[in-house]
Amino acid sequence: MKVDIKDYNTDVTPTWCPGCGNFSVHIALKKALIELKKQPSEVVMSFDIGCNGNGADKIEGFRIKGLHGRAIPLAVGAHLANRDMTIIADIGDGGCLHEGIDHLIHAIRSNYDLTILIHNNQNFALTTGQITSTTPEGKSMYGFPKGRTEGVISIGELTLSLNPSFYARGYSQDIPQLKEIIKEGIKNKGLSVIEIMQVCPTYNKESNHEFFKERIVKIEKNNSIKKAREYLSNKKKLYTGIIYSNTKVKNYYSKLANRKEKKSELVDEVRNYSIKNILSE
Amino acid sequence: MKNRFSVKVGGRSGQGINTLGEFLSKAIRDSGLVTFAYREYPSIIKGGYASYQIDVSSEPISASQKHTDILLCMTDQSFDKYVNTVAKNGVVIHSIKGLKINEEDRRYIKRNRIKITYIDAIGLAEKNDAPIIMANMVILGLFWKVINLDLSILEKIVLDYFSRKKGVDLKAEKRCLKAGYESDLVKDIKLNNFPQEKRRNWQSSLILTGNDAIALGAVSAGCRGYYAYPMTPATSILSKLGSTYMETGILVKQAESEITAVQMVLGSMYMGTRAFTATAGGGYDLMSESISFAGMAELPLVIVLAQRAGPATGVPTWTGASDLSIALHAGHGEFPRCVLSASDASDAYELIQNAFNIAETYQLPVTLLTEKQISESLFNIKRLSEPQKIERGLVRSAPKRYEITKNGISPRWVPKKNKRTYLTNSDEHDEEGISVEDAPQVEEMSEKRMRKIDRLKKSIPEPKYYGHEEPTLVFVGMGSTKNAVIDAMPLTKKRLGYLHYKYIYPLRYEKILELNNDNVEIVLIENNQDGAFSKLIKEEANFYIPNTFRKYDGRAFFVDDILEYIKS
Repeated sequence: MKVDIKDYNTDVTPTWCPGCGNFSVHIALKKALIELKKQPSEVVMSFDIGCNGNGADKIEGFRIKGLHGRAIPLAVGAHLANRDMTIIADIGDGGCLHEGIDHLIHAIRSNYDLTILIHNNQNFALTTGQITSTTPEGKSMYGFPKGRTEGVISIGELTLSLNPSFYARGYSQDIPQLKEIIKEGIKNKGLSVIEIMQVCPTYNKESNHEFFKERIVKIEKNNSIKKAREYLSNKKKLYTGIIYSNTKVKNYYSKLANRKEKKSELVDEVRNYSIKNILSE
Repeated sequence: MKNRFSVKVGGRSGQGINTLGEFLSKAIRDSGLVTFAYREYPSIIKGGYASYQIDVSSEPISASQKHTDILLCMTDQSFDKYVNTVAKNGVVIHSIKGLKINEEDRRYIKRNRIKITYIDAIGLAEKNDAPIIMANMVILGLFWKVINLDLSILEKIVLDYFSRKKGVDLKAEKRCLKAGYESDLVKDIKLNNFPQEKRRNWQSSLILTGNDAIALGAVSAGCRGYYAYPMTPATSILSKLGSTYMETGILVKQAESEITAVQMVLGSMYMGTRAFTATAGGGYDLMSESISFAGMAELPLVIVLAQRAGPATGVPTWTGASDLSIALHAGHGEFPRCVLSASDASDAYELIQNAFNIAETYQLPVTLLTEKQISESLFNIKRLSEPQKIERGLVRSAPKRYEITKNGISPRWVPKKNKRTYLTNSDEHDEEGISVEDAPQVEEMSEKRMRKIDRLKKSIPEPKYYGHEEPTLVFVGMGSTKNAVIDAMPLTKKRLGYLHYKYIYPLRYEKILELNNDNVEIVLIENNQDGAFSKLIKEEANFYIPNTFRKYDGRAFFVDDILEYIKS
């Protein structure tokens, strides 16, 4: 069955600010799914709470808009129940690095076969511009005119420290590259962390298109951890592309001894079971 | 006590007390008698004091008596701790060389005419070429002779167990049991209340903890995922499901936190399989926000809340029932929910199955309460009930996921390829799941969800009455309080009754109101201080029960507690 961008569009009026990076991220995501020939009914998207989460009704598919910080474990539960579906967790830098950072860390080390899109707009935007751990130093934010006191978290460096199978970085305004990254992420048979550097014209005017254009260096694909670390340690440049991929890391489900021979998914297995064989004391 | 006998094995944590307790439970069961066994242990791995008490009867029992007829004791610390729990004319068999008894204990022993017998168990083990750790078996053997049961039954249980362990000298185990059994110390020990009447074919009865029963019930009900974070007293569900996962094929995952566990359950249930999690109060607190989410998004959710004593870390390895309030109220905002409460292994098995049925049919969070006393005690039951029929309330597809319906239940279907897609939303939403903020829509959807509770209330079973047909005193309660009251019934001439609640919320209260007449004294019994169940009945039935019997010292109600209460 042919799938078209119209199949992914909804008639809900967008509520994002004019110029918000979410518009183009959604276009890239929809295009990636279409090029992978995925019907909306084959896709489960777990949205976090934040500006990104307000996209839950602006794309077709099976969507869950859950709790702040919890998009990842909800997606993990969905993935384990039915691997025939394409699972995407969609989360912002606030929810991902603050409320729910443990989920990101454990998802990477578990290497579940799903894709995490991290919308990094360097602030909590929906609550009107508070500091996150990716907010530039010294930038005046809600309640903190002198900027943040705490240090930063680098999504890339954190990910690389956990033996990941896939880490990529895209830019919200470069739809063709972002689309390719998302496609590769979905195709990867493990956990794909995709950090999207995202413009926020309302609360992060400094990190605008000019800012990113000056810094971005595009690469295609890299399999060397050393090289990946070099890309990330260069603070003057912003490398985008598939910063690191390692197909040798086995995904979680494939390592489950009791599921190896099973042809079915957990969703197809709900019925009464005899307990005779496990009744022994 | 009449028709009952009780033995306690005392030692330190890490000394194999649990194993001894299980040996005795099973061997006595295989000898044709009913057992109930409960554990006391500290929240440490080595040291402290630990015990296993096994109550024995010819009739079904499911609670402990406060005083044991015989104490088998292997450390002086546990002697100090437990000697004053030995019954009048009782016996202590110990293996503590140079045991020093303090003045207070000495007086207790004298006053109650307790016989203290020392057996050189270590010496006997060494004499039989066995490592000193097998001194346990010597004591066990002596005890077995005291109660005068067939040694081959105990031998079989012991050898079956150790033959599964690597490097255990089975013959030495056997020699030690025999050495104890043949010790002439037995002639000094007189115990005449060990039940003599054996039950027929009782070897085929089951010995299960409440947690075993929950795991078995979940498997039976088609649960395919179990995600949990370790926390006493819920942990052994994880070990039961984990150690049987090759047989069941269930996906068992130790999650990084309770929040992860409950979110994973929500994700899996949303996708259309059955999954659940279990925790104690602290972990349940962490799940609160997710419970609220399940209520709003109308996702099925099953959580087992295994209660222990106290707030915060509390008294983590001891029992209580002080988490009813949190089960009734966890989560912000208003949404329907269901609370169930098990009292023993049979209940636990049945209720976990119904928890799934209710959660799926009504699309709401269900909490199944247990207590450490239920989770970890060994219940000896004839058999488990027939499996419950699976009810899921699923449809193939429908135009609107959150359709406003008369009974509040909207169509739910499994997300799959070529099915109609929908948005599951934690925001208030319209019938199609789209976020809304307009007043009429907010009101309408909130009312729709709440209507489910009326329907659920009509469909859940009423509380069950046990006891005298024309009672003068009826206890009303939930959880393990049932076991102590029912065990007390044959031991008193008083016309006792017990109204047992398994389905706590929504609350059916017709039967309590029926009981209320001038000839009956109603007493609300709770294993907590604040009386959460009492408050629930007052709130729901507008019926206030002034007489309450509460206990909140980390211990379950003993049979003696009930007998003392009705005497006063």
